[in-house]
Amino acid sequence: MGSSRSRMDDIPHAQQLIHETDFSAAHLLRLHQRFKFLDKYQTGELRPRDFGAIPALALNPIGDRIIGAFFSPGRETLDFPSFVRILAHFRPTDPNRSRDSTQQELANSRTRKLKFAFQLYDQDRDGKISRAELLQVLRAMLETQVVEEQLQSIAERAIQEADLDKDDAISFDEFRRIVFFFFVFCLQSLEKVNIDHKMSIRFLK
Amino acid sequence: MAVSPQFVRGSSSAFLTCLLLFTTFVSVSVVAGENNGTWGDRSRVLQVAEKKGEEVADSSVTHHQSNSSEHKKVFPVLSFNYDHVRTPFEISLWILLALLMKLGFHIIPRVSNVVPESCLLIVVGLLVGGIIKAIGEEAPVLDAKLFFLYLLPPIILDAGYFLPIRHFMENMGTILVFAVVGTLWNAFFVGGMMYAVCQIEGAQLGEVDLLSCLLFGSIISAVDPVAVLAVFEEIHINELLHILVFGESLLNDAVTVVLYHLFEEFSHAGTVTIGDALLGVVCFLVVSLGGILVGFFYGILGAFTSRFTSHTRVIEPLFVFLYSYMAYLSAEVFHLSGIMSLIACGVMMRPYVEANISHKSYTTIKYFLKMWSSVSETLIFIFLGVSTVAGPHAWNWTFVVFTVVICLVSRVLGVIGLTYVINKFRIVKLTKKDQFIVAYGGLRGAIAFSLGFLLTNSQMKNMFLTAIITVIFFTVFVQGMTIRPLVELLAVKKKKESKGSINEEIHTQFLDHLLTGIEDICGHYGHHHWKDKLNRFNKTYVKRLLIAGDRSTEPQLISFYNKLEMKQAMMLVESGSAAKLPTVVSSVSVQNIQPKDSTRRRAIPSISKSREQEIRKILRANLQKTRQRLRSYSRHDLMMDPFEDNLSEVRFRKQRVEMERRMSHYLTVPANRQETTPVRKVCFEPEHKVFTYITDGESPKGRTSRPHPSSPDAVSLLYEESQRDNQRSVLRAKGDTELRAKTLDNQEQQEQQEEEQVKLSRCLSDPGPNKDEEGDGSFHS
Repeated sequence: MGSSRSRMDDIPHAQQLIHETDFSAAHLLRLHQRFKFLDKYQTGELRPRDFGAIPALALNPIGDRIIGAFFSPGRETLDFPSFVRILAHFRPTDPNRSRDSTQQELANSRTRKLKFAFQLYDQDRDGKISRAELLQVLRAMLETQVVEEQLQSIAERAIQEADLDKDDAISFDEFRRIVFFFFVFCLQSLEKVNIDHKMSIRFLK
Repeated sequence: MAVSPQFVRGSSSAFLTCLLLFTTFVSVSVVAGENNGTWGDRSRVLQVAEKKGEEVADSSVTHHQSNSSEHKKVFPVLSFNYDHVRTPFEISLWILLALLMKLGFHIIPRVSNVVPESCLLIVVGLLVGGIIKAIGEEAPVLDAKLFFLYLLPPIILDAGYFLPIRHFMENMGTILVFAVVGTLWNAFFVGGMMYAVCQIEGAQLGEVDLLSCLLFGSIISAVDPVAVLAVFEEIHINELLHILVFGESLLNDAVTVVLYHLFEEFSHAGTVTIGDALLGVVCFLVVSLGGILVGFFYGILGAFTSRFTSHTRVIEPLFVFLYSYMAYLSAEVFHLSGIMSLIACGVMMRPYVEANISHKSYTTIKYFLKMWSSVSETLIFIFLGVSTVAGPHAWNWTFVVFTVVICLVSRVLGVIGLTYVINKFRIVKLTKKDQFIVAYGGLRGAIAFSLGFLLTNSQMKNMFLTAIITVIFFTVFVQGMTIRPLVELLAVKKKKESKGSINEEIHTQFLDHLLTGIEDICGHYGHHHWKDKLNRFNKTYVKRLLIAGDRSTEPQLISFYNKLEMKQAMMLVESGSAAKLPTVVSSVSVQNIQPKDSTRRRAIPSISKSREQEIRKILRANLQKTRQRLRSYSRHDLMMDPFEDNLSEVRFRKQRVEMERRMSHYLTVPANRQETTPVRKVCFEPEHKVFTYITDGESPKGRTSRPHPSSPDAVSLLYEESQRDNQRSVLRAKGDTELRAKTLDNQEQQEQQEEEQVKLSRCLSDPGPNKDEEGDGSFHS
């Protein structure tokens, strides 16, 4: 990757991050390398335009939303710990882990993952996916020009199917319910991202 | 307890029917046999009777000649010439028998709950074979050619065409490991152990050499797709396990083919070298990849052909069937894996063909595939039974018992060992329960038998055949019968009945994009990255090439949505509410009704003309029926249920009455003033389990619409829904009417609604079919 390899000492608060997000040290190193690669001017922080430099992301219909999800509302920069914390959402859930009630919910629990996905829909963070937001998502995903009425009908139907309390928007609970049964596969693919990391690290060495 | 006398009557009548059929069949076959006496020498039932035809023609000619040479006889008003129709007659009779048996089993409910159908069919085959043998005739045997060329392809095509691709691909690694490594392990373990067994003194098996044992092992080790399908279909386990076992049974064909040929060649040659083993590996790669490539090739051809069939809709299904069959046969020519070729062809063809063909063709394909595979399966099991009775057997206690035991042991060990390795790479680990089901579901079936049948004649062959049949019987009967209670006992997750919903589709796509994005951010070329690349390639090049018209640029979501809407349209109309057609035809009608919006028009029409026409045609066809129906039935009459399967009349009536009650309740509840547009709440289940629940807040015509549950499961959903709705009338507005509702007041709304209704009906009462419509007008259902 061109840049010098990181070492654990380069990474601030490494131990704390490892503890918090449950990444292994090797993972963290790799992520740090990637972070440095993206951070072209070595400012120590990422900006939206750094993400924009990734070509494949530009082609992604919801690319800008994903980028936006990394940055907390109002902030323009992203430091490494936040970067790692967001990516920690995509680690596989370990069902065998005993849940420590005093410990805060791990980043990779199923709820957190769902919440993350939910936030991508719900841009204004009001806790509901309104019809307008759904329409935006649909417009983004259906890249070719589609008739407005059809979009409306699709959004209409989607909300109708999911909306249980009839407030004409999809709340987090409703979201969780609709995606629940096929999440067995989909979420696993969410989690799969990190398994692949593991394999790629081996190749890197 | 009012059911029992009915039951008794039902079962006794079924029994009588079966008995009657037996006697009819047997008597005819006996007569046939006596007439010709050529059931001997293992005549193949389906042999293309060219030679025979000549014989028959000759004999009849000589017969006539002899007739005319004698003094003039009375002109025969009625004569008997069975030879003429012999072969097709027998074939039809066999198939008819098989299907009547199948029918009989389902009439007797208790039996079919306990015993899987495959077992019953084998028993029937045994009985028929026994009867035939007792009479002294020679029974037809499950000929390998018959099996591999005619009986097996429909089942595989049915399986491949409707393969759940997403699950299959996600578990591809696991499936491949089980199929390849698992089968290899099984073959060698069984072969090796049997060789060791044969060395035991006193078993009289000394002449069985290692290669024969390995050959035997390779035959018996393959999990059989037919048996797996037959049993797993009835137990409804969750998709993961189903796809694992089933996928394994499909993909191990390549391994089986290679091993079989390998060992058969070598058992003649006598020795094996390392070079041969390496060639074997190469052969395996060639067989599997070659098969897949052949399948893909024919699949693309099929998809491409379907692009041009818009004027000859009637023959569309035939293209699908024939291309697939050609793929199978072509692969078999080169000794490639025919099964994999067939699967690849079906998988490749399906998305493009479905985008091109008409709805009726789609239904035809679906039904024909199901029908053929059902018939094939039934015939296979019956013939298996008959062949068991007919074939020469060489029973050797040691060999057979050890075979069964060792097969079981090797399967269990194989699954456990492989799962241990696989779980390191899987995210959803396979639990012990899963492993048990996978191991237990490894049924052997007719493929093993046919392969054994293909062996060259020898004493060993008979012994092998006996052992194979025993293993098959054991797995199908014992494992097949007990797997259902075991599944219940272990509380294995069942298949989730998921409704085909637009939400799932949206969120699935969204998640795919999300994960691809995350992978890109991490700089990692993973699973999603490549999938995304493939999708893009598909969209830009392949779809343009293979899909006709402007549907090639239609995004997947839109086509999915259109499909849903079309299904709903049909259900809606069939359930009889002709008056209101809410958003069902929104995309179609809106374009017609809103002239003022036509100014801001689209660059690409959202629904192509042909699609529009198709929707219209369907609606018209069904509307005409419903209009007639509505004339003769009053509002409180119970309507004929078009979906007669799955539903008992009594239960249905009860539900209807209940619904009527609720309907009347709704009608008296004043609706919210703002929302007066008619409402439809739809719960959707895939394919046949669809029901629509139509509530009407306040319609100017005051007509109720009829809820239409079409399956028992749907009813509970119905109640759920209606309970939720009970408090308010839920309304569904079309996109534009919603906008208008916000700005107009009620009075105008009412008027516009009426106008709309009128416009809708005008839209529907379009002029009759014009010339250039799709050519399947003759297919009016």
